[in-house]
Amino acid sequence: MSGTLPIPVIQFLQVATVAVGAPGITGVIARVEARLQGRAGPRVLQPYYDLAKLLRKEALAPEGSSWVFLAAPVGAAACYLTVPLLIPVLTSFGLPLGYMGDILGGGLILSLASFAVAVAASETGSPYAQLGASRAKTFAAITEPVVLFVIFVVALVTGTDLPYALAATVRSSASQIVRPAHLLAAAALFMVILYETGRIPVETHTGTNEFGMIEEARPFEHSGPYFALLKWGSSMKQLILYTILINVFVAPWGLSATAQAPAVVLAIAALLGKAIVLGTVVAVIDNSFAKLRLFKITEFAAAAFLLAVLGVFTLYLGGG
Amino acid sequence: MEAVVLLLLILPFTAALVSLRAPAAAAEAVTAIAGVTCFGLVLALVPEAAHHDLGYLSYLRIDAVSVVFLLATSFLYAAVAVYSIGYLAPSRRRGEAGFSRYSRQFYAGLNLFAWTMLAAPMMSNLALLWIAIEVTTVVSALLVAIENTDGAAEAAWKYILIASAGLGLALLATIFAYYAGAQVLGEHYDLSFAPLLQSGARLPHTPVRLAFVLAVVGFGTKMGLFPVHTWLPDAHSEAPTPVSALLSGSLLAVSFYAILRYYQVAAAALGPRFPRDVLLVFGIASLLLAALYLLDQRDVKRMLAYSSVEHMGILAIGVSFGAPIALAGVFLHVLAHAAAKGNAFMGAGVLVHKFGSKRISGISGGLDLLPWSGPLFGIAILALAAMPPFGIFRSEFEIVEGGFGASSNVAAAILIVLVTLAFFGLSVAASRMLVTPRRAGLAPGSAAALVRGEPSAWMVVPVVAGVAVLLVLGVHPPAELTGLLTRAVHQLGVGA
Amino acid sequence: MSSLAGAAAAVAAPSVYSGGSSVIALGVLLAEFGMFRQALLRDQVRLYAVQSGLISVLAILVAAVRHLPDLYVLAALSGALKVVIVPIVLRRLLRGIGRAGEDDPARGWTEIAGSGSLGLASTVLLAIAVAAFGFFAVSALHIRSAVLPPAALEISVSVALVAFILMIMRRDVASQAIGFLSLENGISLAALVVAAGLPLILEVAFLFDLLVAVVVLELLIRVHHGRAESLSTADLTSLRG
Repeated sequence: MSGTLPIPVIQFLQVATVAVGAPGITGVIARVEARLQGRAGPRVLQPYYDLAKLLRKEALAPEGSSWVFLAAPVGAAACYLTVPLLIPVLTSFGLPLGYMGDILGGGLILSLASFAVAVAASETGSPYAQLGASRAKTFAAITEPVVLFVIFVVALVTGTDLPYALAATVRSSASQIVRPAHLLAAAALFMVILYETGRIPVETHTGTNEFGMIEEARPFEHSGPYFALLKWGSSMKQLILYTILINVFVAPWGLSATAQAPAVVLAIAALLGKAIVLGTVVAVIDNSFAKLRLFKITEFAAAAFLLAVLGVFTLYLGGG
Repeated sequence: MEAVVLLLLILPFTAALVSLRAPAAAAEAVTAIAGVTCFGLVLALVPEAAHHDLGYLSYLRIDAVSVVFLLATSFLYAAVAVYSIGYLAPSRRRGEAGFSRYSRQFYAGLNLFAWTMLAAPMMSNLALLWIAIEVTTVVSALLVAIENTDGAAEAAWKYILIASAGLGLALLATIFAYYAGAQVLGEHYDLSFAPLLQSGARLPHTPVRLAFVLAVVGFGTKMGLFPVHTWLPDAHSEAPTPVSALLSGSLLAVSFYAILRYYQVAAAALGPRFPRDVLLVFGIASLLLAALYLLDQRDVKRMLAYSSVEHMGILAIGVSFGAPIALAGVFLHVLAHAAAKGNAFMGAGVLVHKFGSKRISGISGGLDLLPWSGPLFGIAILALAAMPPFGIFRSEFEIVEGGFGASSNVAAAILIVLVTLAFFGLSVAASRMLVTPRRAGLAPGSAAALVRGEPSAWMVVPVVAGVAVLLVLGVHPPAELTGLLTRAVHQLGVGA
Repeated sequence: MSSLAGAAAAVAAPSVYSGGSSVIALGVLLAEFGMFRQALLRDQVRLYAVQSGLISVLAILVAAVRHLPDLYVLAALSGALKVVIVPIVLRRLLRGIGRAGEDDPARGWTEIAGSGSLGLASTVLLAIAVAAFGFFAVSALHIRSAVLPPAALEISVSVALVAFILMIMRRDVASQAIGFLSLENGISLAALVVAAGLPLILEVAFLFDLLVAVVVLELLIRVHHGRAESLSTADLTSLRG
């Protein structure tokens, strides 16, 4: 009895971990990146302060925009709060609400959020926002199938499309990690993450390179609390994608197998720790490579597509 | 007999080594002697092979099928060796710079080329067969490029790239043949042909099927089957004429030999239906393409190259008919085509020498200006177009007869139509070159004062010999040859 | 609430050896795709060396796990030839392409490969389609190898097919030659899968032919460059019909 948390609390903790921890992860990545560049860098908690500041500011909407402009950030945040219910964030066993949707559903909800933001951006009539939205959706035409193929890999390996099952399979033996389909799917997903979170080689996260912006440009016209919601939403998206990569593919250890409080707390710490490690890797990549020219991003996406397709083939046809 | 075979292997190689160092005159003589001697040696082999298979040194295996191809190659080797003396004479007379280097490379390459083509049919082992054909590609590519013109460089590049890619596929075929053989004969099966054929019925079907198709496509690249023939017109027209004759007459045949070996295995393992269908498809496609292209050619050697594609298509179709008489026709066709195509190229070489141009439009009045080579070239073209009484008429007749006998009526009818089409194309071009009287001031550079006369007697003698061979083959093939062909047909039909 | 513990996996997990060897074979295929991306001839040659190295590593792995001592020799020979000698030969050849007295005498080595008719992404998508065909075709054959997982044979055939696409799409002789060499790599990978017990003679002869082919290719590249002063094949269009 002592220390066993009721299941609804664990469910809530899943969402809360992502919601609360996401800006922190962003802050850590920014600081690590700055350190690697030899600068002192911002405070780790800076994103929280930014969000608080933005919530106090006034919100403006461009002329001619409709309710979509104001509803989109809220909708996107709602989506990002839903997805943690579906994926293994803290526990290695499925939670009740986790069966609301499988990994395909999770992918769809993420796409819905992205779509909402893109629509809002197109509505504004501002050139930068529209540019960002149209670019994002163009490249998404290649990266969305990649996510689908990654999902297929999950489905083919485990016979289900519940991410919990894949995590369990991966934990079961080392040979699972070495199989080519697994590695390919993980690599493809990592490339998609780089694209979705707007990092090198797709976009520069630091500085305002307007001509190269894709993700960064979409919230250009929002302000005040709505802008805060969008920023928070995008860091939540980042943490969610990291969680999928870590807890489903790469390192699904540290998840609590029971509902005991200490185990859950440990799981929270493990998740955030692993996310920080992955963030560091992303920061190192940021500092090591140059941004691709815009037209070369299709090559990048095609490479991710290649990896995902090969993953499905080696699995389906080669027993790998 | 062992001495004969070993001599056959050693002689051309030695001639190549000698040609590398010796002065041009010596190289000519050595090559010519080697060529004629090899032909004599192969003739000596014919009666032996008509009765039993020969095998030496565990690497060599000579049966009736091999000897047919050895005959084709060695005859052309002899003819071309003599012809080259006359072909290179103008360059030597003119004392061009670098001629001695050119002639050394030429003769060494020629001998080496002939050596590899003589070695290939004698190999007992599918792996060694592939290696031999790979080496023929390498040597012949260098020979194609030897003229060092733009066209030659382009042709040689295309040739080596396409042919090597095709041989890569053929290597894959060899590997799958090993796999099939290893299932039955154990892991240490060394790709010997005879055991594979003997255990044919027990071989697993899928690898054999795969190996056969890959072999047809892969070796078919070197044979000139559609659609992997694209290097052929370029390479055969840009190479020096003696090399073109060898390429068309012998190399295509040796590649066909490789396909035949795989056909034997496939027929033994899968039954005759599937291999024959595959060969029929490729054969008809090649024949169709060649016949169409022959209608509109501007370059005489390119035209002859397409004629080679046509005849290779006929060979493939002949095998696909499967009746014994068709197979006999196929083997006879190999011999007759070698002679006729050699003649045609050699005659074309004389025309090109005389008129200074390879273009059909640049050559006219051949019959008037060349008292020997003109008519001989005309005879060669007629022979290629299957006119009686020459050998090709007999062989194509037998093939068609076999086709109707095996109830492949449609295919035989298509064959006849397309061959007629090709005849049309060839004869129009030939008559334009030979019969049309010479218009004054036509040849660029040289004045209209082209005198009547042969450039060189050396270039006439081999052609006369070739015509004689064609007549013999067409009118009354000698008894030993018929015996050889019968045995070859029997060996090919094993398992049919 | 169904399929967690005891979920019968739809595709059973391979052994570590299977998985590892498949990954290495996959590396070969990825290197092949990588050659599409590389614009510089120098990088293509390096990628070819990497690809050949992966095949040698795979051969050593097979020899160690399946107890085939012949393969050690083969791996060493082919490694020495394809990873060391051929790239050095190609490098010397390409360096020699530059005209003396020019700004960059090593022009050929840093030359950008001629781009083909399709853009890069379209070519890669085409190559993916072709590789997919290879996978499906080979898997339908049900050829089981004794030494490597079935994925390896499919991968090797895909490498060969993608190498064909590479040869077709490139517009300069050096890239075509490197494409041809990677085709040979694909075929030797297939040989490793299907015929690991193949007697040494064939393998040695195969390597000998590779060497000879490289010599011939070098000669012809020189001839071509000597005439056209460039490596492009855009001018090789005079022979038609």
